[in-house]
Amino acid sequence: MLTLLSVSISTIVLINVKKWNWNALFVALAMMTFLSITTVNNSGSASWSFLSHSLAVDSLSAPLIILSCWLAPLCFLAQNVVKGNSGSLQNGFLALTCSIIFFLLLTFSSLNILSFFICFEATLIPTLVLITRWGANVERLQAGTYFLFYTLFGSLPLLVSIVLISQTTSTLMIPISEIVTLQGNTFFSINIWWIITIVAFLVKMPVYGFHLWLPKAHVEAPVAGSMILAAILLKLGGYGIIRMNAYFPDVTTLSAILTVICCWGALITSILCTRQTDLKALIAYSSVGHMSLVAAGTIVFSDWTISGAIMLMIAHGLVSSALFALANILYERTHTRNIFITRGFKMITVLLPFWWLISCAANLGLPPLPNLIGELYIITGIISWSIFLAPILGVATVFGAIYSLLIYQNTNTQSIVLSSMSFNEISPREHILILFHLLPLLSIIVAPNSCMVWSN
Amino acid sequence: MLKLGRCVHLLARCTNQTSSFARTLASGGTDITKPFRQIRDGLSWTIPKDLQNSDRPPGEVDVLIIGGGAMGSSIAYFLKAARKAGVSVAVVERDSGYSMSSTVLSVGSIRQQFSTPENIYMSMYSAQFIKNVQEHLQVEGSDPPDLQFNDQGYLFLATKDKEHILHENHIIQKNCGAKVELMTQNQLKKRFPWMNTDNVTLGSYGLENEGWLDPWSLLKSFKEKAIDLGAKYYNAEVTGFNVVDDDAKPIDPTQFAPNGRRLNSVMVSMINSPEVVEVKSSYVVLTAGAWSGQLGKLLGIGTGPKEENLHMPIPVEPRKRYVYFFHCPEGPGLECPLLIDPSGSYVRREGFGGNYLCGKSPNECDEPSCEDLNVNYDFFDTEIWPNLAHRIPVMEKLKVKSAWAGYYDYNCLDQNAIIGSHPAYGNFLMATGFSGHGIQQSPAVGKLVSEKILAGEFQTIDVSKFGFERCITETPVLERCVI
Repeated sequence: MLTLLSVSISTIVLINVKKWNWNALFVALAMMTFLSITTVNNSGSASWSFLSHSLAVDSLSAPLIILSCWLAPLCFLAQNVVKGNSGSLQNGFLALTCSIIFFLLLTFSSLNILSFFICFEATLIPTLVLITRWGANVERLQAGTYFLFYTLFGSLPLLVSIVLISQTTSTLMIPISEIVTLQGNTFFSINIWWIITIVAFLVKMPVYGFHLWLPKAHVEAPVAGSMILAAILLKLGGYGIIRMNAYFPDVTTLSAILTVICCWGALITSILCTRQTDLKALIAYSSVGHMSLVAAGTIVFSDWTISGAIMLMIAHGLVSSALFALANILYERTHTRNIFITRGFKMITVLLPFWWLISCAANLGLPPLPNLIGELYIITGIISWSIFLAPILGVATVFGAIYSLLIYQNTNTQSIVLSSMSFNEISPREHILILFHLLPLLSIIVAPNSCMVWSN
Repeated sequence: MLKLGRCVHLLARCTNQTSSFARTLASGGTDITKPFRQIRDGLSWTIPKDLQNSDRPPGEVDVLIIGGGAMGSSIAYFLKAARKAGVSVAVVERDSGYSMSSTVLSVGSIRQQFSTPENIYMSMYSAQFIKNVQEHLQVEGSDPPDLQFNDQGYLFLATKDKEHILHENHIIQKNCGAKVELMTQNQLKKRFPWMNTDNVTLGSYGLENEGWLDPWSLLKSFKEKAIDLGAKYYNAEVTGFNVVDDDAKPIDPTQFAPNGRRLNSVMVSMINSPEVVEVKSSYVVLTAGAWSGQLGKLLGIGTGPKEENLHMPIPVEPRKRYVYFFHCPEGPGLECPLLIDPSGSYVRREGFGGNYLCGKSPNECDEPSCEDLNVNYDFFDTEIWPNLAHRIPVMEKLKVKSAWAGYYDYNCLDQNAIIGSHPAYGNFLMATGFSGHGIQQSPAVGKLVSEKILAGEFQTIDVSKFGFERCITETPVLERCVI
């Protein structure tokens, strides 16, 4: 664990290397990725490994750590445009992205809830700077404001809750959280305690009522920012709920209400997706839909739903990031994100529609890709909890399929080739970018235990 | 004493400036559309005021339209009217008063009597649009637009030797569905007794969907509706283009296939300021009217190599045309259609006070210079009045009240429109070169260009005959009825 962190710190130092910045950084991050794969836990039980004083990895954090390390070099591969900026601006960009990765690693591996919270918050500032400085339109100011204040106000109650927990239980260690019991004074106080703990993560996930920051932030962020946001920063929410739920084993009323809200949220966002005109906003809303499903799964907190939640988080991280990278490939060529203008690429690019097809198929939950496994586990768990949510989740899945296919159809198979679509070919860099997003998806199919085990 | 006068003057100015407030009071105290507009324009909550009200174009826009006349505003309206698409549109117009624009200086007439079927179809579409303009262009909260469309028809007159042209055109027009009738000399004499039908053997009279309208109202309605739907107008001038040709491949220029080159961004310089904004756009539409040829040269169209189809400039140049406004108390009045004499002079009624507008296209060798818009009154005396007096005897007694001059965006090749993209730059569209029949085709052109952008091809009317390719191969599509 410490080696991982030290490598990620060294990437920040490497920025000062004059000539080979990007390449050196890429190599360092790739090395870090390979190191991180050693954390994979295939043993089939939830146990802590790589244990040190304050950092450890268990079967929930391992896949997320691998995901963050995996996406770091990929987002540097995607962001080619910043290379036009001056040297110090480039360094700033690199430093910010590396610091996000560093804090993410710390978040996922910290054993102390307070240090988890501190790193959770620390990822906000570099992301905010990334959005507002390197975004393309004037709307990025509003996007940054929404992003910052939504997540900040969501996590203030979490701080209060952490202080309360430390005062009542005099420990903040996560491995001990299962054996601790929290006593509330009244019937309501344990529910309210749970709510103020969870709100930060619900906003981060985001769940439908608190999701307004996401379309804005995702659309206005540069592609590296969008990829990191979609892939990992959203999963912080899921991770947090699963960790914190250990303190609150019996909050049934409120969890019931929240589960229903999350399921309806998944349905509503899926329907909204069918009418979006901005490609990146479409992918952002689809993230909201999938994450609402994950949130529902984590709140129900049964074995199956938690396993499904972890699997869907990993799979969605990879697929969503791949979709943003694909959208950026088109955007760099046509300078518009409007799906009515970026159309009919099947006629022009030969291999790219294949990547689009796999990514959209993964997005809609095509077997045997892990998205389906995750969704299936979550839906099964939720339906067994309450049968009345079955039609809602069913329709949400159907609409998920509708808009995913709409994305593919609009960008690739609309038959009229627009005359403005005469652009240069897709470079190998871009092909490798998408390929390396999709390869882990295929490898998870054959080793699902790495992303699924959570039994306590 | 002086102070009192100044106070009164200042007070008068104050009341002028608060007149919108007074209007709000008069309308019952609430402008009910304001909250809806505020909600729709959600940026107003968190973007600082000076960025909001900025008159600088944004750094990125989906479609940039150069020139905010009737064509540009019509294209902006149709692009925004396709609400499902959600395209962002910016219109760059350097003259906010439209002082030299062909749109506002035009006589504003619409006819179906062309010889090219595409022209006929475009005019028919536009006539339908204009007749239903209150449904299309009404802005909520304002009065419906009134274009003052006078549905009086055109009357083309022909002498014996040009009769066959009218006959051939009539067959084409009938096939397209235009409502035109041919009239013999006797019919003309009976129908228009005030006309002298001496050497005229045939007349072609439009029965429906032909007439004239107020072009300034049309422009204003298009512009206001486009702005209401979300298009943004900027008072600026386009001074440069940036092209991306990283991977331009050499192609066979005769195939007119795209070659990998793209117009990346447009340099827009603000008026009265040294500031230049680079606007990246996915599509650029050139509707600059008479100055389109000039703007094309900025892009290298006309100065580039033949292998890339850039050797031929956009053949549009300004040509000055005069319009004279005269009063003739005994004139034909309400019965007067837009009469086109075999000599080329035209006259139409304007209003109800015995006033008329007239004009004539000069011969090729007598073209007036286009440096300014000054009017040559001798032209009326020598070229137009004799023909008018010969054709309509009561018009021997008339008094010219005023006159103005405007530019035709004259297509030197064949006086027909150029609609379509340039073969060398796939995302550079043009809609110019209308040579005097622009206003009547502006709704149709708006619809067609918006279809080209959103659907990739012309769906309503196929105007691929009017593409720029014919300018490169120099195969004119001649229009016989050019006024």
